[in-house]
Amino acid sequence: MNIESNFNYCILSNNINHEFLKKFFEYPMIDDKLSFNDLKQKIEFNTSKMIVLNDTFYRLNYNEILIIIDLFKKQQMKFIYITSDIEKSLICDKIVVFNNDEIVLNGLKEDVLKEEKVLKRLGFGLPFVVDLSLQLNYYDVLNKIYFDMSSLIGDLWN
Amino acid sequence: MELEKLDGNIIGIISNDFQNEDFSGKKVREIIVKKVNESLKMVRLNLEILDKNFEDLSSRDMNKVILASKLQEKVIILINFSKGMLKKDLEYFKALFKKIKNYDRKIILIDYNAELFIGLVDHYYVFSNNQIKYETKDIFDRVLENYIDMPSIVRFINQCESDGIRLDHYYELDELLKAIYRIKS
Repeated sequence: MNIESNFNYCILSNNINHEFLKKFFEYPMIDDKLSFNDLKQKIEFNTSKMIVLNDTFYRLNYNEILIIIDLFKKQQMKFIYITSDIEKSLICDKIVVFNNDEIVLNGLKEDVLKEEKVLKRLGFGLPFVVDLSLQLNYYDVLNKIYFDMSSLIGDLWN
Repeated sequence: MELEKLDGNIIGIISNDFQNEDFSGKKVREIIVKKVNESLKMVRLNLEILDKNFEDLSSRDMNKVILASKLQEKVIILINFSKGMLKKDLEYFKALFKKIKNYDRKIILIDYNAELFIGLVDHYYVFSNNQIKYETKDIFDRVLENYIDMPSIVRFINQCESDGIRLDHYYELDELLKAIYRIKS
């Protein structure tokens, strides 16, 4: 798998075990055990340009997640976020979808999340915002797919 | 605090205070010991998993194994059960928990994924240092936002409300869609 250093990645997998995580051992990895403050501190003092987040946002609330993403931007760092939760894919630029050890989708978020049938068949489903905008497109209420809740709400009610 | 005594049938707890039992070094067959075949079937695992080491499993399968080992208990306590689960899994297990509850069982979910809670849990507690810090029966209670990443549908409805659009508190996308369509047409 080719990781480009100018993108944030989401690795979606239905089987995240030790063997799977070995694919990413060349990068420093942070797991989900850290509190918000500890995580913030760890990122602030990190010197590498790319870091692996192993479902690291699992324990955080939404505002804390936004603060951490902002911190990555400020530090000009990129991340590879490994998760089974498709909602978290919205925070990334590119998505790689694994079915066990096999890559089934790989590309820009906007392209991968259009693969509704594949994502639903594998059990990941679609992120709420994408699902909602797809349905609203179907009913001619909206005419594009949204990847950001604020933009969707703005266009829906304005 | 005795969790068993908390009010509610399916309880959601947000807390850092609890940890899963350490099953490292154990084979799955040493963990699931009662009604093995039936329990595995209920959590959608195959018999082959019995000979695997617990620590070699994905967190998704670890949580299924832990649930299978507790299905016969009167009070089922699951810690971070949603970890590693897919959307489809959450739908399945939410339906299963509702079914189990009807057999006079209490289910206590200590978790950080509110997508597991919505439409399932009837009483929420926030714990800190083993004390109840906050409790509510409503997933739309905005105090919960301080402790957990809320379900997307809740964030959507709350954000619409902040922007002056009042929507009822729906748990399902289909119901929300109908409501939006009614307003827009």
